[in-house]
Amino acid sequence: MRAISPNQFDQRHHLDSMLMRESLLDRSVQRSTETDGEIVRMLPDAQVVKVGGRSVVDQGRSVVRPVVDALAEALPKNRLIIGTGGGARTRHLYSIGIDLGMPVGVLAELAAADALGNAHILGTLLSPYGVVAIPPAMFGHLLPLFIRSVPGVIFTGVPPYSLWEHPSTVGRIPAHGSDAGCFLLAECFGAKAVTLIKDVDGLYEADPRHEPAARFIPEITTAELRDRKLPSLPFEPILLTLLDNARLVRQIQIVNGRRPETITAALAGEHVGTILRAG
Amino acid sequence: MSFANLSQLGRSLVEGSLSDPEILKSTGREPPIRILPDASVIKIGGQSFIDRGRAAVFPLIDEIVENLGKHQMIIGTGGGSRARHAYSVAVDLGLPTGVMSVLGTFVSMQNARLINYLLAKHGIPFIEPAQFGQLSHYLDTRGAVIFFGMPPYTFWQENPKLGRIPPHRTDAGAYLVSEVFGCKRMLYIKDEEGLFTADPKKDPTARFIERISVRELKAMNLPDLAVEHPVLDMMENAASRRSIQIINGLVKGNLTRALNGEKIGTEIYAD
Repeated sequence: MRAISPNQFDQRHHLDSMLMRESLLDRSVQRSTETDGEIVRMLPDAQVVKVGGRSVVDQGRSVVRPVVDALAEALPKNRLIIGTGGGARTRHLYSIGIDLGMPVGVLAELAAADALGNAHILGTLLSPYGVVAIPPAMFGHLLPLFIRSVPGVIFTGVPPYSLWEHPSTVGRIPAHGSDAGCFLLAECFGAKAVTLIKDVDGLYEADPRHEPAARFIPEITTAELRDRKLPSLPFEPILLTLLDNARLVRQIQIVNGRRPETITAALAGEHVGTILRAG
Repeated sequence: MSFANLSQLGRSLVEGSLSDPEILKSTGREPPIRILPDASVIKIGGQSFIDRGRAAVFPLIDEIVENLGKHQMIIGTGGGSRARHAYSVAVDLGLPTGVMSVLGTFVSMQNARLINYLLAKHGIPFIEPAQFGQLSHYLDTRGAVIFFGMPPYTFWQENPKLGRIPPHRTDAGAYLVSEVFGCKRMLYIKDEEGLFTADPKKDPTARFIERISVRELKAMNLPDLAVEHPVLDMMENAASRRSIQIINGLVKGNLTRALNGEKIGTEIYAD
């Protein structure tokens, strides 16, 4: 492509391209980038699995070992990208950090270390099965290499938002935690599926810990879930927005780490927990 | 495990659900500290400024140097024409938004290094996100630092609602630095007086806006805007930096006036 010299009307040096001279903030220009063509799926045969920090790792051996066994069983048949959350240590960090007056970006920056710690904890347990813990600085760029070289990789699920975390709508908890990080990674790389391993079977019409009769929701859309206005969700609320704007990954499945057979089934493509769909 | 030493908020954070609205609300009760309250974040436009070359950039560099020692400056850079070129190629080839974010980062990095070399003889460093731990030291000893404006989201960039271009680019990245560090001001240096009701380069009837709230600006629903849309949402949620200023850096003295607190250009504020 040819460089355009500045002329008497426009002193800016442009590069000849579709977006030349355009404001990227102009809605019609933004719309013009919504092409019909397919978006490249970089890792279409990989699956992203998020292992909860508080819901799984913090629960100790009795919960973690069966989850590790289920992941190990799935490894030979799948390419797994495993992300972890920070769990109790991140909650503790938030409470001390907020008490000391730290802004949300600092909380996000520091919390990444807890999830990384959990990645190394799970990475150690999964190492005999060939899973490698990848440092965050190289993870994104070298993921295509690692995922073809080893049976599975594990990383801090927390995305690199750090000091650049968005101010929260309410309060000061970073919006982009490890659920969001795992989803965004899967969406960018066009992964086959996203599974969140938590400590509940999925979504209920009310919190089953308080209302044992609460009905299970096997499948729901983001719009329906918003309408229900549930008091709390077993995943980061920002996932609803991320799913709505997703192009490649249009659903996630939540399964219960305390029932490891559901992990095996979900990774085999079965519907065993709650499936949340964009729509 | 015992968290007996924690405050009530601490215990509810460790034990409760982070999506519980009551717990979330309690985390925002106290405002955060202002980490660098005397610093100004300055974003130098890519297409609007650096792409104009020497004629625009050299006088601005002189003005930055004149203000060293008087104002602490955290200087971020935009992408501009090469970012647009890369995005065009990427859209055509069907590349995901996260990959475009990586490409945009490279271009704003080039511009940051260009500005860095122009200021190098004054001892002004360029810092990458991983070096922000040294930011306060450089500000204290040298009075300014250069960073690339793109937030370091790379492959984790959110998709936009409309189209495929990364929604959080250098305006948002620079703004978030001003917010997280509780800086004194957020200045956008462009090649227009500020915000207009339309692109003044294309529409001669465009009217200048001196001061406007985010709410009013959103209600106007302008087809085009001088600053990335997500910055408006972020300002509304912000704990510290609730206004931004857009100035024309082509006019000699404007940067100094803005650093001195003069109301020039356009101010956009969250009520």
